[in-house]
Amino acid sequence: MTAPSDLAFARRLPPAEAVAEEAPLIAGAAHEMAARFRAGGRLLAFGTGAGAADAAHLAVEFVHPAVVGARALPAISLVNDGAALTAVTRAHGHGQAFAAQLRMLGRPGDIAVGIGPSPLCRSVRRGLAEAVSGGLLTVALTGTTEPVLPGVRHWFAARTDDPRIAKEIHVTVYHILWELVQVFLDQPAPHSSAREAVR
Amino acid sequence: MTAPDALALYPFLRPGADDPDALLTAVTRSTVEKVRQIVTLREQVRQRYGPELDACGYALAAAFRSGARLYAFGNGGSGTDAASVAQLFLAPDPGGRALPATSLTADVALLSALGNDVGFDVVFARQLAVFGRRGDIAVGLSTSGGSTNVLDGFTEARRLGMLTVGLAGSGGGRMAEAGTVDHLFVVPSSSVHRIQEAQTTVYHVLWELVQQALAGPG
Repeated sequence: MTAPSDLAFARRLPPAEAVAEEAPLIAGAAHEMAARFRAGGRLLAFGTGAGAADAAHLAVEFVHPAVVGARALPAISLVNDGAALTAVTRAHGHGQAFAAQLRMLGRPGDIAVGIGPSPLCRSVRRGLAEAVSGGLLTVALTGTTEPVLPGVRHWFAARTDDPRIAKEIHVTVYHILWELVQVFLDQPAPHSSAREAVR
Repeated sequence: MTAPDALALYPFLRPGADDPDALLTAVTRSTVEKVRQIVTLREQVRQRYGPELDACGYALAAAFRSGARLYAFGNGGSGTDAASVAQLFLAPDPGGRALPATSLTADVALLSALGNDVGFDVVFARQLAVFGRRGDIAVGLSTSGGSTNVLDGFTEARRLGMLTVGLAGSGGGRMAEAGTVDHLFVVPSSSVHRIQEAQTTVYHVLWELVQQALAGPG
């Protein structure tokens, strides 16, 4: 008889292997993120539920990297401050939780990263939409059936709608994004700031 | 990522290599390799710990049936994993059974008070001493297995008679030697990132097993 844990691991294999097919998307996103950081941009991360923990993880990864010697980069999670978050949602409604913060904190040179499985929380979709209209570089990490939001620059969809498996894949993807940003920033400026200009 | 590591992993990064397409090709290839690493690592965890995960799931379900609360703790990225563990048990998606769980990493006032007034080594142990009861569950995460505040948390949890579950990496570090962890899962990798990714799967699978066990006959 197959053990319950064996079944649990087996379900994870196909969506995890499928991430390899998205490698060009991940590399391209990291390339543009590095350019933003190089130009002085900051990263603003947001999500709900497990995605909120991922937003906090992403922020600490960039500000205080686990890898010794890596450079510290400015990244802020929009989910950590209970006073601010509850005040914003009281004033504007839950759907505006991140959009309202992005209107105040986001600048055109910044990077917005919204994280969550499909169906993506309304507040995360609205946050991404606000970031698009504000001129931020936008990155979405979500699940396979989430309808693409127009204008979002880098849309990564884990090929699963199981929210836990999607999160596991998202952790791998943002770890790789972090590492590749460090790699690109180690390069001389022309690589990161204007790929077209090099040609 | 230090410069020597970068050169080893990405040969196109050496000075003078100024072809951006070659660089993108190189990092794309390294991304594929990392995906392969985490897939392999999860399989190693399944082979090493499959029966132990099933046993731990039953033990946690039994504890919850007896009225246990779960407390999760860790530092940095593992601190956000502690938050994820607590969120998953307390507020699962519709259809899941909600269970009492709290992260010991969420209260910044408490963490900074304990850290400032006493020291950071006690931030989890002191909270467990106040909140914990015999039969409760302590879930601690440390990629190195050596975070003193996590180990001290387990010491306090054991003293209180709690059920202890530890997630570590590498060789398990001091967590593997402490004798305070009932169910220990060591992810066999030296990469902090890959360890965290596999640990995420471990606590997700544990949650699924608890849910299945609670849905069955008690």
